[in-house]
Formats: sequence, structure tokens, C-alpha cells
Amino acid sequence: MNWKNFAFALSTGVAALALSPIGGHAQTRGGDVIVAITQAPPTLDAQITAIQSARHITLHIYETLYARDENAKPVPDLAEGVAISPDGKTYTFTLRKGVKFHNGKEMTSADVVASLERYRKLGASASLLNAVDTIQAKGPYEVVVKLKAVQSTLLDNLSSPRAPLAIYPAEEAAKGANQINYIGTGPFKFVEYKPDSHVKLERYKDYVPNPHYTKRDGFAGKKEVFIDTVTFRFMPEAGARVAALQSGEVQLVETVDGPTKKRLETNPAYKIYPALPFSFQIMKFNHALAPTDDVNFRRAVTAALDMEEIMAISYPDIYQLDGGWVYPKSAFWVDAGLKSYNKPDLKAARELLAKSKYKGEKLIFLVDNLRPNIDTATVVQQRLAQIGVKVELQTTDWPTAVKIGWSPAGWNLFAHGFGVEPFEGPGTVMAAWVNGVSQQKDDPEIDRLLTALNSEMDVNKRKALFAEFQTRMYDEAVAVKIGNYGLFQVATAKLKNFEPFRIPRMWGVTLDK
Amino acid sequence: MLSYLLRRTAAAIPVLILVSLMSFAVIWLVPGDPAAAFLDSSATPEQVARLRHELGLDQPLPIQMMEWYGRVLTGDLGQSILLRRSVGAALLERLPVTLSLAGVALALAVTLGIIAGVLAAIRRGTLADQSIMTLALLGLSVPDFWLGLVLIVVFAVGLGWLPSGGFVPITQSVSGWMSTMALPALTLALVQMGFIARMTRSAMLDVLHQDFMRTADAKGLTHRYVIMRHGLPNAMMPILTVIGIIAGSLLGGAVVVEQVFSLPGVGRLIIGAIMSRDFPVIQGGLLFLAVIYLVINLVVDLLYAAVDPRVRL
Repeated sequence: MNWKNFAFALSTGVAALALSPIGGHAQTRGGDVIVAITQAPPTLDAQITAIQSARHITLHIYETLYARDENAKPVPDLAEGVAISPDGKTYTFTLRKGVKFHNGKEMTSADVVASLERYRKLGASASLLNAVDTIQAKGPYEVVVKLKAVQSTLLDNLSSPRAPLAIYPAEEAAKGANQINYIGTGPFKFVEYKPDSHVKLERYKDYVPNPHYTKRDGFAGKKEVFIDTVTFRFMPEAGARVAALQSGEVQLVETVDGPTKKRLETNPAYKIYPALPFSFQIMKFNHALAPTDDVNFRRAVTAALDMEEIMAISYPDIYQLDGGWVYPKSAFWVDAGLKSYNKPDLKAARELLAKSKYKGEKLIFLVDNLRPNIDTATVVQQRLAQIGVKVELQTTDWPTAVKIGWSPAGWNLFAHGFGVEPFEGPGTVMAAWVNGVSQQKDDPEIDRLLTALNSEMDVNKRKALFAEFQTRMYDEAVAVKIGNYGLFQVATAKLKNFEPFRIPRMWGVTLDK
Repeated sequence: MLSYLLRRTAAAIPVLILVSLMSFAVIWLVPGDPAAAFLDSSATPEQVARLRHELGLDQPLPIQMMEWYGRVLTGDLGQSILLRRSVGAALLERLPVTLSLAGVALALAVTLGIIAGVLAAIRRGTLADQSIMTLALLGLSVPDFWLGLVLIVVFAVGLGWLPSGGFVPITQSVSGWMSTMALPALTLALVQMGFIARMTRSAMLDVLHQDFMRTADAKGLTHRYVIMRHGLPNAMMPILTVIGIIAGSLLGGAVVVEQVFSLPGVGRLIIGAIMSRDFPVIQGGLLFLAVIYLVINLVVDLLYAAVDPRVRL
């Protein structure tokens, strides 16, 4: 044994250990993450669609002036901040300097103005900007928005996570719906889109995280990317998604069912992330068609339903019983009207039914072919049979269900999820019931409450208005809030620092080798 | 031969017109439109109307029909509402996947199916015959999505030998292409093999007892030569018909297997278009399927003539 060589090797080794960056936070950098999502996006033009699968991808590529934090509060993202005039009708946004689009161009006020004007013309939720009169650039880093009337929800609207008011380069904003190149300011840059297969994004190396934040926070905060690429693969078949995870072809699955979660949770190679609450389960009444046009009938139906039974069957292991019309952690959550929530009483229901105009006719329960919605309809049908109400289920695919549900004929009851609206906020929840959009008959009281909410700048008064709305929803049995449900997301244990949110966020995560 | 081909092409045109008229009728009758693919359940009537206008869907159907026929006559199948590319381009993009899958599955099914069917026929009544026919029956009874998932669980998840889905073009990597085609083609082949084996056995049995077979045997030719050179060609007519039908269904309809194995093929394109009401793609897709069947029928008829000299075109 050559002791001299041994000693030399040993000392070199010790020196290497001493100098290497272990013990601190040596973040694993790099890696390619593949996410299995259930549906292909209809488009990657973020402004023109309100569909979830589009947002999974577009909210990695694009950003907005203001964005929602982890608790859905609007905070500055591309803007530095805003100065609001005393009359509440002029908003002067100061933009961050040095923000680069993926084509290297710096974002200026011209791009913001063009993008917001495009949204007014083509945006899926263009009505969010109905109160806007003019949008003008004042110098390269200032945008002045003048309103026709006070709109307390302007910052909420600008940061809407539903059909985002994404900021495009002015040249792209000049193009028509679905005609753009996908160039944004976000932490990921578009690489390729293969229809029916996948979308691939890569880390944008010139991305500058917002310096005012120190950590990830909802859609805002500090967005740092530690992986090289993320690929969203469209895999509608549930079994195939899980198989891909287990064979290592994907690292994260958007949603798995209860039995799969139970099977995988004991395996240390995977980590389960329950995202609860993710959505409401609701049942709408058609107020334009008998017998659901009668408030006593609606109250009878509501009194008969056991919400726990419905949720436990439709969304086993991943539901919450809550009657509020926003999520529990929202600053607007109130208990007004909730004494009527989930009080199943068949006797009281029969009494209310006797007071109503119901003559034994059959109701049509419209539902799409998503299994939990069918389960909800089935449980309701069985329950209502116990008080003598006849219900016929009509199961269709989603485009047909929506087409019928958007009209005043052909349905009495319609059950489905209601996910991004409660996250977006009270204004959006209320808007679904304004002008009779969901219930097919105008309710002047709800219309009045939303108009008042929109022009009320005082937060406490807005909360009171929302409480009035919620009370009305229960008193008039406008629609039924059944409960909240969630998603089980599953990832490889090698994916670190992942936190489920409205989309599977790929900033802030690392992938071990 | 040329005049035959011209006659067949001319005869195809009324079929294509009928198919396109039927697809318009279906689109008119089935409720729902592409707006539902872009907007969620809280969309207001104004939002829906605005999107329909942007997508050009608020024109009356007869005008949409006339515009479509006008375009088709110039070879333009129109623009997909959702995919942001022409229908023709969308179909062409997916053709390599569908052709690969159908080609490999058909080759496997035909080769193994005919061999199995011939074996069963010449060993009629024996254990070999019964086993082959039982396996064939199993193959064509088993649902293809179940079979596909079982193969994934065994070979992709369990053994890790093959990927669980996706498609690698042959131009990118031959071994990648082979490994992504293996399980889906096997799924399809195992099912279709059953049909071909049963039809082959039945057709062979009809032929084996014919006088000319006895004559050929009596001439002193080996039994194997008699089966392959005299028996099988005479049995080919019904077998070719079945193969033609299977080829058609593989080229247009391997939707379930495409879904299970996440393959971006033509079947998935058309089903996706139906589910999101992407009308130009539905119409273009149906026309494409009709052309596929017409071409396959023509090829089968030409093969009849090639195989059986008694057939005159």
C-alpha cells in the first residue's frame, strides 16, 4: 500500500468535500417535466377562451398587469402599481421596466394598450372591461385607463384568471382571434404544439422575476424556473395517464380518481397532492319552465336534498360540505343564508311541495357525460322520488348540454361544476345570475346587487352586498350549492416543491435526477 | 384497365356527394356548436353570439353549404375552427400515424390470421383446430380498450420494455417508431386476426373438398404445394373481402386504440372534431373516410382480378 498516494487522495477528497456546496440549499437545476393533462386546449390564444386546459399552458407563457395571489387577491405582476384618482374613474398604471417578450423586445405601454383593446374586441370575457371608456399610453411605461363609471372590481377584472387579459406584443395584438404567434412575457417560452399530442415549453432564459416578491404566490409572486422544459401531453384516457406515470414517461398527472390515489399513496415513488377545494358542484333551476319556475317547488326540492349523500357518491374522499358561494379562504366568505344549507328534511319538503304548483309532471334533469355529474343527477333523482317528484335524466355530451342549458327550453335541472368563477371572486359568481343568464329569468334584485357591488369601493360594504346576494340565493332557491370538490394530483417523488393551484405551476419546482 | 379505373372513379362521385350531404344533415340536426369548446358554462348569450360571429357560424346553413362545396371543388377542405390549420393539413399531419398503425396491424393480422385459418382448416376437427378457433373467438370478442390497457400494464408498467403511448415518426428514429407501434398494433392485430382466421378457415374448408384439389393431389404434388398453390388462391375471394373491410376500419376507425395509446391519428381527429363540433373537420374527415373505403374497394376488386383469372373487370 502506497501511503503517500493514499494520503494525497484522502486530502484531495476532504478538500473537495469542504469546498463543494452541500449542506446549504443546492437546488437541483435542469430536467424535463412532462405533465399529463386530460384534454387538449381549444387554442393557445389565451384571451379568447375560458377553458381550463388552455390556462394550464397559457398561464406559463403569458402574464397580466395584475395577477391573483394564492388567496385570489389581485396584486401587481407586470405593473409596478396603480394610482387611482379620488373619483375612482381614472387608473394610472406604472409598468415594470426591462420586462422582455420572448422575442427579445421590451414590453412597453404600446403593447399593453394594444392587448387590452384587443381583449375588448375579442376577449372571451370582454364584458369585464365594459366600464372602460378609454385606454391610453402616457410615455413608454404608463397606461391610463379611464372608466365611464366607478368599477370597484377593475383590478379583479384585469387579473381575471378565467380568460386572462394576457399582454401580447402590439404586432400580435393586431391579429385576429386564434391567429397569433405565441409570444408572451412569462417564465416559459413556447416551443411547439402538436395537435392531439402535446405542447412543449422551455425556460425563458431572459425572464426577470418580479423583484418586489420573494416567493411564489398564486399567479404572481416570484416566478423562478429551475427546470429546462415542461411538456403538457394530452391524454384523455385515465388508465393511460396513470400507466405513463408508473412507467416514468410523465412526472405529474393532472387528476386521478379515488381508487388510483389509494393504490399509489403507499408507494414512496409517488406523492399525492389533493387540491381541495377546486370547484363547486351546483345544480341550476330553470326559472322559465314549470315547475321549476315556482319558488315553493324549488324550496321543496332544496329541502329534500342531502348534500353529503350527493357529494360522497359523486366525489368520494375529495369533497367539502360548504354552502358559501365563494371558497372558504376567500376574504368574501360569509355565513349569510347558510342556516338553510344542507338541512335535508323530507317531511318539510313534502309540505313545501304541497304548497307549490307541482301536479306530478316529469322534470328533465340535464347533465353532461362526466361521471360525477351523472352521479349527482342520479342521487337527486332517487331522493326526489321519495317526495313524489318525477325526474327524467337526459345525458348528453358537453356541447349539447351547454347549448340546451343556455336556452330557456328543454330542461328543468342542470348539474355541473363551477370552478374558476368562485376563485375569480364575488362579482363573477354574481354575474352568472345576472340578466337571467343561468336561471333563464331575470332577477332584478340580483341585478341591482351586482351593479351596487361594482360601484362600491368600500370593502366592508361590498362584503355586505355579497351577503345579501347569498341570502337571496337561499331564500329564493335560485340554484343549489351542493358542495365543494377537489382533484387528486399525483407526481413522481422526484418532483420537489410542487404546490397544487388553479393550474399545475411549473415555476418554483425542481426535478431530482 | 384504364377504362375500368375511369368508370370506377366516375361512379365514386355520387357516393362522395351523398356522404357530404349526409354530413351536413347530421350537423344541422345535432345540437351544439364549437362555441362550447371555447367558453364555459357561465358564458353569457352575448359572449356566445360574439364568438359565433368571429368563427363565422352565424351564417345560415345553406350559405355555409354552398361556400363549402365551392371550396371543395377547388381542393380546399376549409379551415379547422379549433386547430388553426386547414382541414387538409390536419388530415395529412395525422396520416403517418394512422398509416403506420393500420399497416403494421394489418400485416400482422393478415399473416398470422391466414396461417392460423389454413392450419385450422387442414387439421379440421383436431385439438389444433379447436384451440385456434377458440383463440380467434377470444381475440375478436375482447374489447380493444381492455386489451390495450392490459398490454400497457404488462409491457410498459410491469416490464418497462415498451412505452405506454405516444408516437415517434419513423423519420426521427426507426427503433422509436417500432417501439411506439408495437403495443397498439398488437392490440388491433389480435382482435382482427380472429376475424381473418375464422373467415380463412371457412373459405378453405369450402375449397379443400373440391374435385380439383383431389386431382392435384392425385397428380403427385406435395400436399403443402396443393394447399398453398391451388387451395388458398381459390379461397382468397372472401378473405380479401374481409381484409378490405378490416383495412377500412383500421384506417378510419382505430379511435379507441388511438385514445388509449395517445396516438395522434385520423380517428382521434374526427372524434375530437365531433365532440367539439369542429364542423369543417367533421365534413373533411367524413369525406376522407369515404374516399378511403372507395379506394380500398377498388384495390380489393383489382386484387380479385389478379388472384382469380375468371374475374373480368
